Amino acid sequence: MMDEYVVSVISNMGMISFLALSAYLLLLTGEISFGQQAYFAISAYLSAMATAMWGWPLWAGLLLGAAAAAFAAGLIGVLTLRLRGLYFSIATLAFAEMVRLLFVNFHYQVMIDGEPVGPDGAEGFRDIRWIFEHNVSAFEYMAIILAVLTVVVTLFFIAERSRLGSIFRMLGEDPLLTELQGLNVIRYKVLASCLSGFIAGIGGAFYAHFATYLEPQIFNVMLGVHGLVYGLIGGLGTALGPLIGVALDIGFLEAVRAIQGYRMIVFGGLVAVLLIFMPRGILDEERVHWLRMTWRRWRNAAR
Amino acid sequence: MLTIDNVVTSYGMIKALKGVNLTAESGKVTCLLGPNGAGKTTLMFTIAGILKTQEGSITFDGTELSRFSPVKIVELGISLVPENRLVFPMMTVRENLETGAYLRVGKDKSAIADDVEAMFARFPRLEERSTQMAGTLSGGEQQMLAIGRALMARPRILLMDEPSLGLAPLIVEEIFRIIEDLNQTGVTIFLVEQNARMALRVADQFYLLEQGKITFSGTPGELEEEEVIHRAYLGSRRE
Amino acid sequence: MTDFIQNCIDGVMIGSGYALLAIGFTVVFGVLRRLNLAYGPSIMLGAFVGALLYIQFQAQLFTVAIATVIVATLTGMYVERLCFWAIRRGAALASMVSSFAIWMQLEEMAVIILPERTYPFPALTDLAPIHIGPYFLRSEHLTMFVVAVLLVIVVHTVLYRTRFGLAVRAVSENPDAARYMGINIDAVMFWAFAMVSAIGGIAGFLILATDQQVTPYFGLWATFKGLIAMMLGGMGSLPGAILGGLILGIVETQSLWYLGNDYRDLSAYFLLFLVLIIRPGGIFGHALSERERAALRRV
Repeated sequence: MMDEYVVSVISNMGMISFLALSAYLLLLTGEISFGQQAYFAISAYLSAMATAMWGWPLWAGLLLGAAAAAFAAGLIGVLTLRLRGLYFSIATLAFAEMVRLLFVNFHYQVMIDGEPVGPDGAEGFRDIRWIFEHNVSAFEYMAIILAVLTVVVTLFFIAERSRLGSIFRMLGEDPLLTELQGLNVIRYKVLASCLSGFIAGIGGAFYAHFATYLEPQIFNVMLGVHGLVYGLIGGLGTALGPLIGVALDIGFLEAVRAIQGYRMIVFGGLVAVLLIFMPRGILDEERVHWLRMTWRRWRNAAR
Repeated sequence: MLTIDNVVTSYGMIKALKGVNLTAESGKVTCLLGPNGAGKTTLMFTIAGILKTQEGSITFDGTELSRFSPVKIVELGISLVPENRLVFPMMTVRENLETGAYLRVGKDKSAIADDVEAMFARFPRLEERSTQMAGTLSGGEQQMLAIGRALMARPRILLMDEPSLGLAPLIVEEIFRIIEDLNQTGVTIFLVEQNARMALRVADQFYLLEQGKITFSGTPGELEEEEVIHRAYLGSRRE
Repeated sequence: MTDFIQNCIDGVMIGSGYALLAIGFTVVFGVLRRLNLAYGPSIMLGAFVGALLYIQFQAQLFTVAIATVIVATLTGMYVERLCFWAIRRGAALASMVSSFAIWMQLEEMAVIILPERTYPFPALTDLAPIHIGPYFLRSEHLTMFVVAVLLVIVVHTVLYRTRFGLAVRAVSENPDAARYMGINIDAVMFWAFAMVSAIGGIAGFLILATDQQVTPYFGLWATFKGLIAMMLGGMGSLPGAILGGLILGIVETQSLWYLGNDYRDLSAYFLLFLVLIIRPGGIFGHALSERERAALRRV
């Protein structure tokens, strides 16, 4: 059986990957969002409330949370339609901080077995114990997270090859041109927003039940910018990019425990240097294209 | 004055200039004509030091330019009037002219002020608008401003990248009249253009650039104007 | 009503510090067209070194100030070289990500210098508050305000009356054209960054000396305040940055007074969000020029 610590690290990577993928999706459509952590938070809280306070099963809570996150994201998508570039980014930042601060003031508890359960503002939300109450082991939970992640990544790959993927990338390159092609830019932008919210929401729900404890402070800007940056480091060529970023930060650096106290100094420096040589990330569009060509050539040669 | 010898410039793997030879003589107007994509702007950027040559050399009055930074090249007396004018839109006309004299600021205060007045004398329309923001000027006025700005550096040679671009025919005529006048007062001009008809009227010497190579050099009249115009816009006739 | 006006006075005083931070962001964005996420942390590192001197060596106020500003400036230069100069021109996003990475780096460095949560910072002045009718003015606030005003005058003079300022403005408007004038773009960007870091250092010092304490959250906090103030007033304009800072200060103090601590920051973000949705150009919404619109398309 796997070491408990390793299981927890991999679970972490899995959950954060959802956040990273959610930011990645928006990056494809040309938007830099500093606020995906808000949807992560909304789903975390809502799914936890569903399972811990209303007795819902995990999958139902997760769907509820993710749906709510998708809705919120769609709403923000609509509100920010007119905004481009930095203005959009700061608006998402402002929104996310508002959400976080609202949770700081959010008190809603019910009595369960004589104990108050529920979000208590800055004091947090304890006892989100669904996976323990239902005897899901840490390993099984990790497997669930990875399974869902795999499904999501596969969907990404399918979408990339499909018309939707091309439309999203086109939006990122040149929204005006996309519009001129007769495509309803608004619809696709809002769709992208909703999807990104949903994906972040999945991660948030998983997180709530993994950590069993939530507090608003967790869902701060740092979390969101991390998620965003993973895709930018790993490259925007494929959905694997953000995962590479996550693996680099959480995976690699957890592994190198020797530099514990200096982790960020080292990681920060490495990232800065990496970006000098690979400004568009490790697996950027060019490199992915090159890899595809090489693969194709190799396959043809092997015939 | 300016000699370009077998210059090769690449953008990554694409060779934009494949061995260009030309000379711009002092006191004359030399024109480089050619269709879009022939490499005209690439050549301008190479002379200005923004792009580096992979082979060949650019000599200005005996000094080899290839290793110099754009700042040094301006210092040597080569001023560029860029494609699309590129005036500073939020600065006034006067401030734009002053930036042209950037390298002389602090050393030459009264001379700079005199030069600004001289530009206003030469371009009365600019004087009328001296406190207006450059972004509000018309295309032709911006072109005049760009030329004036480049002249503020008191260059020994003026490089002009497609001065007629985006301008109405009447304005284009005015601009070329200005170019002719400038040359009369002794300014050496090296001009890159697509508008062959106007360019030929002012040129003392012209070259044809097609796909990164010089395909013709001579004086106006040596080649049929029709032929020149055709090749300038479309490239050589296919035999 | 008295409270309202008192809050306005306090708000303007505090806002002057925010205005200085906003100026830092505005100039960097103007010249480099990129966002420097390591701005607040650079200032914080300076403040931590200053605090260290204060705690370990009982340094005087002035020494702490100098140390803060110098370290903030040097850190700013480090950030500029690594995150902005070293990254090719077209890759603006990479610069932002790089500055984020360095933000992480600087925060950790600060925590290593001073491992605990809060540290004392020397007080700005010992003077008693000044009374003007029913209102009173904290002397630290007044000091900060006066210094801020002086700094703004200095920045304005530099930008509009010096050769360097001319170069900065030219590069901000059109870096290519500036190059053709013989302006050394790299040098201009470097020194503009240094100037902005120094201003940030002064702003940080003033703010921290008013609060008399410094925490590792200061980096993030300063970045936020500067960014919000810049966006409120209208990005890309210096007067906008100043006004944005003052407005932010006033909104904060009013909401702190009437709504309590919990809603202070929330109000600021809400206002920002509202302004962005309704008037992206900022409260003083100046029309975005084509170049600015292009710059905003991709940070």
